[in-house]
Amino acid sequence: MKPEAAITPPWRIGVDIGGTFTDMALIDASGSLRVFKSPSTPADPAKGVVNVLEVAAAALGVAVGDLLRQCRLFVHGSTIATNTILERKGVSVGMLVTEGFRDFLEIRRGLRADQWDHRAPFPPVLVPRYLRRPVRGRLDRDGSEESPLNTDDVRDAVRFFEAEGVESIAVCLMNAYVDPVHERQVAEVVSAEWSGRWLSLSSEINPVVGEYERGSTTVMNAYIAPKVVGYLERLEQQLQAAGLQQSILLVQSNGGVVSAQEAAARPVNLALSGPAAGVGALNLYRTLTGIDDLVAMEIGGTSCDVTLMAGGDVPVSDALEIDGYHLATPAVDIHTVGAGGGTLAGVDGGGMLRVGPEGAGADPGPAAYGLGNDRPTATDAHLVLGRLRPGPMAGGAVTLDEARAARAIEDHVARPLGLSVEQAAIGILRLLEQNLLHAVERLSVERGYDPKRFTLVAAGGAGPMHGVAVARALGCERVFVPVQAGAFCALGMLWSDVRLDSLRVMDGDLDAITADEVAEGFGPLLDTAARALEREGFTAAEAEVQRVFDLRYKGQQWSLRTVVPESGETLDRSSIRQAFEADHERRFGHIQPDGKLLITALRAVATGRIERQAPKGMAERSDGGKPVPQDHRRAFVDAATGWADVPVHASDSLLPGHRLTGPAIIEAPTTTVLVGAGDELSVDDHGNYLINIAVGGAA
Amino acid sequence: MNIDPVTLALVQNRLDHISRQMGFVMTRTARSPIFNQSHDFSCFIADAAGTLISQADGIPIHTGGGGFTVRALIDAFAGRIEPDDIFLSNDPYVAGGNHLPDWVISRPVFVDGELAAWTCNRAHQSDIGGGAAGTYNPEATEIFHEGIRLPPLKLFERGEVRDDLWQLLLLNSRTPELLDGDLRAMIGSTRIGAERLAELVTELGREAGAGYFDALLSYADQRFRQACEELPRGTYSATEITDNDCFEQRDIKVCVAVTVTDDGVKVDFTGSDPQMRGFKNSSLANTHSAVYMALASFFDPDMPRNEGAFRSVEIVAPYGTVVNPRPPAPLTMCTVFIAHEIVHAIWRALGEAVPSRACAGWGKTIHNITSGRQPGSTEPYVMYNWAANAAGGAVEGRDGFNQIGLLIALGGLHLPNAEGYERIYPAMIRRQEFRTDAAGAGTFRGGSGVHYAVDVTGDATYSFRGEGLDTPSGFGIQGGGTGSAGTMHVQSADGTTFTAPKYGVREFPPARLEASSPAGGGWGDPKQRDPALVLRDVRDEIVSTEAAREVYGVVIAGDGRSVDMEATRAARG
Repeated sequence: MKPEAAITPPWRIGVDIGGTFTDMALIDASGSLRVFKSPSTPADPAKGVVNVLEVAAAALGVAVGDLLRQCRLFVHGSTIATNTILERKGVSVGMLVTEGFRDFLEIRRGLRADQWDHRAPFPPVLVPRYLRRPVRGRLDRDGSEESPLNTDDVRDAVRFFEAEGVESIAVCLMNAYVDPVHERQVAEVVSAEWSGRWLSLSSEINPVVGEYERGSTTVMNAYIAPKVVGYLERLEQQLQAAGLQQSILLVQSNGGVVSAQEAAARPVNLALSGPAAGVGALNLYRTLTGIDDLVAMEIGGTSCDVTLMAGGDVPVSDALEIDGYHLATPAVDIHTVGAGGGTLAGVDGGGMLRVGPEGAGADPGPAAYGLGNDRPTATDAHLVLGRLRPGPMAGGAVTLDEARAARAIEDHVARPLGLSVEQAAIGILRLLEQNLLHAVERLSVERGYDPKRFTLVAAGGAGPMHGVAVARALGCERVFVPVQAGAFCALGMLWSDVRLDSLRVMDGDLDAITADEVAEGFGPLLDTAARALEREGFTAAEAEVQRVFDLRYKGQQWSLRTVVPESGETLDRSSIRQAFEADHERRFGHIQPDGKLLITALRAVATGRIERQAPKGMAERSDGGKPVPQDHRRAFVDAATGWADVPVHASDSLLPGHRLTGPAIIEAPTTTVLVGAGDELSVDDHGNYLINIAVGGAA
Repeated sequence: MNIDPVTLALVQNRLDHISRQMGFVMTRTARSPIFNQSHDFSCFIADAAGTLISQADGIPIHTGGGGFTVRALIDAFAGRIEPDDIFLSNDPYVAGGNHLPDWVISRPVFVDGELAAWTCNRAHQSDIGGGAAGTYNPEATEIFHEGIRLPPLKLFERGEVRDDLWQLLLLNSRTPELLDGDLRAMIGSTRIGAERLAELVTELGREAGAGYFDALLSYADQRFRQACEELPRGTYSATEITDNDCFEQRDIKVCVAVTVTDDGVKVDFTGSDPQMRGFKNSSLANTHSAVYMALASFFDPDMPRNEGAFRSVEIVAPYGTVVNPRPPAPLTMCTVFIAHEIVHAIWRALGEAVPSRACAGWGKTIHNITSGRQPGSTEPYVMYNWAANAAGGAVEGRDGFNQIGLLIALGGLHLPNAEGYERIYPAMIRRQEFRTDAAGAGTFRGGSGVHYAVDVTGDATYSFRGEGLDTPSGFGIQGGGTGSAGTMHVQSADGTTFTAPKYGVREFPPARLEASSPAGGGWGDPKQRDPALVLRDVRDEIVSTEAAREVYGVVIAGDGRSVDMEATRAARG
């Protein structure tokens, strides 16, 4: 790595803890952007944060204390919530439910991940039945009290929880989404009678309709809160003790950030912290390219996360599923498939080629590493096709052995199928790319977006190898390859805004409801949102609160979100209907011209825009000449071109203004870019690559 | 023709992707809850001859029936199938249907002017006329009581809708608005499928495409034959009963003899009872589906689900019996019952052949349908009491699900939230909780079933279909115990208590419906169950302390929180 130039205070820092590496991005007052990496420390993630700060401080020639003192914004994305869920490391939870409803958490509405796999058990229920205690008292669907809450039942349950060593209590009472009154009464009794700290109320976590989804979310919140909040508090104290003058901000599943204090109230909202920072990265690339329609494939060792931005917006919904647990928490729509560099290939008993979803991970990794896996992966296929450079990689941490890769493909794919190693390697990658294509289609075509209109962002260590092929199959015209492809999420953190989503369930008929009723309905949501943004340091003038209706035609089971335009005292019904119809037409291909439109919920999306400057362009520019490849390599480009003597460029030799025509390979520190035959690549002011896909190129 | 293995894998994935996309369009666009909530539909793709080549999306009991429908309409319209025609059919006797409520939209896919494939959508309509609202008429004794019968017919001719026919269909439904919207959704999903399929076949070339479709069928055949190698050669027989014909209590048998040879599997229903008076007779398409579902679910879940997988399966279903009735026998209920009994009979038979794969019986559901008018309005409502669903049976390594959707969907139908129901129906749900000591005991126990109670606030009609009442249905296997039967009562506001019949329709003033849903069967000897799991069941009140001691041989210590290991060792011998 080149020695770092001096940085100009103040600066902003984003730190993303991934499975293998902890990434850090820093942008200083001059707009200079830098990225650092150090290994993650799963046993104590906070240590990984400190480690990467030390790596950065050393490279920048400053003390860690100064690095933190001069930091104006510290954004963190952490897998702590996700890992607590995946590793089942949460605490013992006791649950209070309405009498008669002890079991919805365990019935799970019967939702099966794969209905044909009836032998698979459900994931373990997070609160055993004996810790789910019934409480008398009932609200009806309008929130009217049919019978009062029995506080003695609550007291008995709390005593039982004490005896059982419960550390965290979740409350989910029937119809609490309409009125939190009974849950608040429970909270009063619990605070008075219980020595524990952790209490989660379903009416506060997210008041959606449906005791299963709301309760499951509340229980998950209770389950992870002590671990996650404890971690955040420790990390913040540690960083502040070391010099940080600010509160740290956390990336939430909705793609926005929020202070650690606010995050502590609903840690379940951090379940997708990390990947959701992709939203910020798309914000950045949107700024750099001026393109509003982007679809990102972030491909790592084992999986690909697909995120879509349409017209500058990344859709958020309340339906997240993690490891079989259903969470009604605002989350960016990210579709993940098991397709990455370490994805395994093989042949099944019927002679069918299979690629994924299982992967070899980082350890033992591809067969070419020689670290104990002898089955072929996507990386092995690229290696035998000449697309990756054999020999030491990642600073010598591993070595790519082409002979091992070829042997793995020969033994496990080529010979069983009667193909050559080359044909087998091509086949493995075609299947992998088909999986990627289908994943992108799920987020675009199936939501009514035409991918041809989108620019494909190829990120992650393995993304730039597949960007051009997938774009071509989708019919996209352009691929954007960020030069820091490997630090997608850490970078994204520097371009995220504060965002708070809230909702209130409501029944209404769009044509019958009055403007006053709408204003009254939104009132509490808007107040709460404004107060929360104020706590985050945004004045009313800086805050933006969008009002949204959940709308559906009568008889439908799903709602679409439609923004309610600001129109003073009146309610602009026709423009709301038009917006709904446009969305419905796009997604479903039809509308019901005079169909009755029902309002099912009101939402407030509160955004605090974090002021930021555009990153500074690179100082050096091309002199107008052609970039000079460092060498040439025999590589398989694509089906139409076949093998060719492909020029190989080092990424640091490509400067703003440079253009080249594929085929070409670009080797960067954390990724390799493949440019197809006839594709036109240009280097932007920041060293990123924009590739125009050749029309009529190879499929 | 030379089959490239890479292209074959790509074609397989792409077909599955297309049929899933069709399902996605359907889920999102259909009007009635039965599709977008309960997912009671299946999208599938057939080759030019009508052989099912992909069904990635859809419920298991629909799996084997697709080809029957397409082949029936190819026969009916031979020489008159044109591009942009859209076909509709439902009849089980003349149109390859499984039962009348499942309407199938079939769209031919033409490439270079030649028929290349079909994209189809089979979906359960909300109402098709007949003797009772909501498609199920428990008092039917002829198919004519069950709704409108549709032979294969053209709904669109060369892209033009036949308006008169469309109006005829709407006129025969009690919910024409829903039918109209749902038909459009079905048509939309087959259109998306057809466009994508045409792209695929065009890329491959029509003849090569047909070659790849054949190769996929052969691949599935190969996989199934391999799976069957696990089955020792021989004949395995079993009998399963339903204890009523919908009118009176009497046992009706489904007899099956599964013979495994080197050439394949023969499933012979000879000896099964003659067709019954009530509407549980199984159409031939449904019998085939139930057989395929039972076989596929016995093996690994990634078995390809196209008709090739069952090429080596021979089915013998004697005419005039409950598994292949003569017209005009009624049969609307068959996709649930007697499909459940057919699957059970085959599972019982195969469970003897391969103990480690043996599946215990699932409880037969008892959920009824309550219908009436919304308070203060003439607007009708129809409420399926899905929350009275039964439990699943155990397999080695997994206890039965305490409450789960129907066996014929392998649990794939979603259960509602009580809150969601209270929002749209004039009802208040009072209880949905696991039963104690109902689960079939075992090394892995059956599911418990639930107690369900709902207050219906107005006058309402109750349509009963309590197959799992009275007689235990979740059989145990390999030494496991049988799950308890269900019960159902209606207590009306006037103080009378009415015991629900198995089938029938009654009217009540405001009332409370109370049910205990049937439990599932256990797998293996209960005395072998891990004492820690028994303790957990006791703490969870799914097993009583007494049953723990007597059935499982596990003695719970006086604190109620631990196992008395010494006493347990003594009790277990």
